[in-house]
Amino acid sequence: MAQTLDVRGEICPYPMMRTVSALKKLSTDERTLEVVTDHPPTLETIPTQAARLGFTTAVEEVGGSEWRIVLTRDRD
Amino acid sequence: MVTDAARVRAETPGVGGPSPNAWRAVSAWGLAAIIFLLARGFDPQYSMFWVFGLAFGFVLQRGRFCFASAFRDLFLLGHGRTMKGVLLGLAVASVGFGIVMARQVPVTTMGFDPPSANVLPIGVHTALGGILFGVGMVLAGGCVSGSLYRMGEGYVASWVAFAGVMAGLLVSAYTWNWWWESSISTGARLWLPRHLGHSGALVVTLLALGAAFVWVIRLEHRAGMVVPGPRSEPEVSEGVADDLRALGRTVFVRGWPVVTAGAVLGGLNALLFTAQEPWGFTGEVGRLTVGLAGFFGATPPPPEGVGSLPGCVLVPWTGVLDHMTFMVGGMWLGSFAAALGAGEFKLRVPKRPVRYAQSLGGGVVMGYGSGIAMGCTIGAFFSGIPSLAINGWLFAAFLGLGAWMGTHMIRRIA
Repeated sequence: MAQTLDVRGEICPYPMMRTVSALKKLSTDERTLEVVTDHPPTLETIPTQAARLGFTTAVEEVGGSEWRIVLTRDRD
Repeated sequence: MVTDAARVRAETPGVGGPSPNAWRAVSAWGLAAIIFLLARGFDPQYSMFWVFGLAFGFVLQRGRFCFASAFRDLFLLGHGRTMKGVLLGLAVASVGFGIVMARQVPVTTMGFDPPSANVLPIGVHTALGGILFGVGMVLAGGCVSGSLYRMGEGYVASWVAFAGVMAGLLVSAYTWNWWWESSISTGARLWLPRHLGHSGALVVTLLALGAAFVWVIRLEHRAGMVVPGPRSEPEVSEGVADDLRALGRTVFVRGWPVVTAGAVLGGLNALLFTAQEPWGFTGEVGRLTVGLAGFFGATPPPPEGVGSLPGCVLVPWTGVLDHMTFMVGGMWLGSFAAALGAGEFKLRVPKRPVRYAQSLGGGVVMGYGSGIAMGCTIGAFFSGIPSLAINGWLFAAFLGLGAWMGTHMIRRIA
């Protein structure tokens, strides 16, 4: 079961910062993190930050200005 | 027969017909048109500033042109996306301002400054104002104009930040005369064309912007890879109507690349300078705040020396309406209409109480900083550097220092 991080309502840049710290805390056997956000700038900043930590980003629009971002650990 | 294009439209939410968002946006633009007609009845200058305000607000929201993130993301993320847009906008505006100023003051050695360019006295007030503004905008999650368009997007914390900005501007109005006597009145106004000629000043400014661009790229490479954000799929086009619809979505619904927004804002700024004066914002917010304080019997003492200063200085209350009232109002309605049209309006209420405190505190600090620096990221920076004046660069350097300090602070606020 993937962990979910709900950062709705947060101000800039906390959605991104909290996502990064959650990714860093993820144990090595956990492969995915799901982030729910209503802050559009994260769609631009998270892919880069996630890639630097070895995660691939998939964005799904939930509607009503909300997005579900699924971050999956790269296999290496 | 169901065509591919029709099927794509039917499967894409909000494309089959005008969405409720589109209707709300059309109502907002209708209101803007009514105010335009009323303003023109009063004074054509009012309606011109109204149109510019709408355009600035619209582009700020569409490009999410956030000066706070431009500086902060360099230090926090090693990401220069927004700063590249800012630098391009500054370059475009510098060329435009340079051409206009060369016509206003053909001979630069006579000792005249261009009358409306933001050539401001420099001193401790510029440095401290820049630092305070930089810290405040990072704490509050947006500068003054950034908070304005986020208000239109429904960020409750930005409303709190804006109230803080007004409070900070009011405090700066009470302390203005002290600053005037101890620093501002004796500060040198360094206008580069006087020392380097018009073309020399423009070339030096563009080279400095180019150097800043190289520095941004270096920071990015030191931090690691940069992955572009999600791009939408190209739409299937079956003729002129589909093409026009796609164009409409590109302009009104999808976000603009930040470099596009930067170039357009720089061009609009040059156009406004050609028509009258550089783009500004906080001066009018300060004027309205002082007027509001006067309503409650708390008018600050009359500010000394402001008659001789361009830019966003706090001018005394003269009446409810000023041409800049239409700039500020237009920017708010323009960004609100843009957010509605794109379906990006949503009430965003922070759950952690500390966010309200940092938005308010950041706003107060930012408002005070813009009061003593005689402008915000727009007037003192985005119009300061294109005025080919040293005060723009000095403010920018300390703005960066403040943003760097602010970045360390927000890392400690969970």
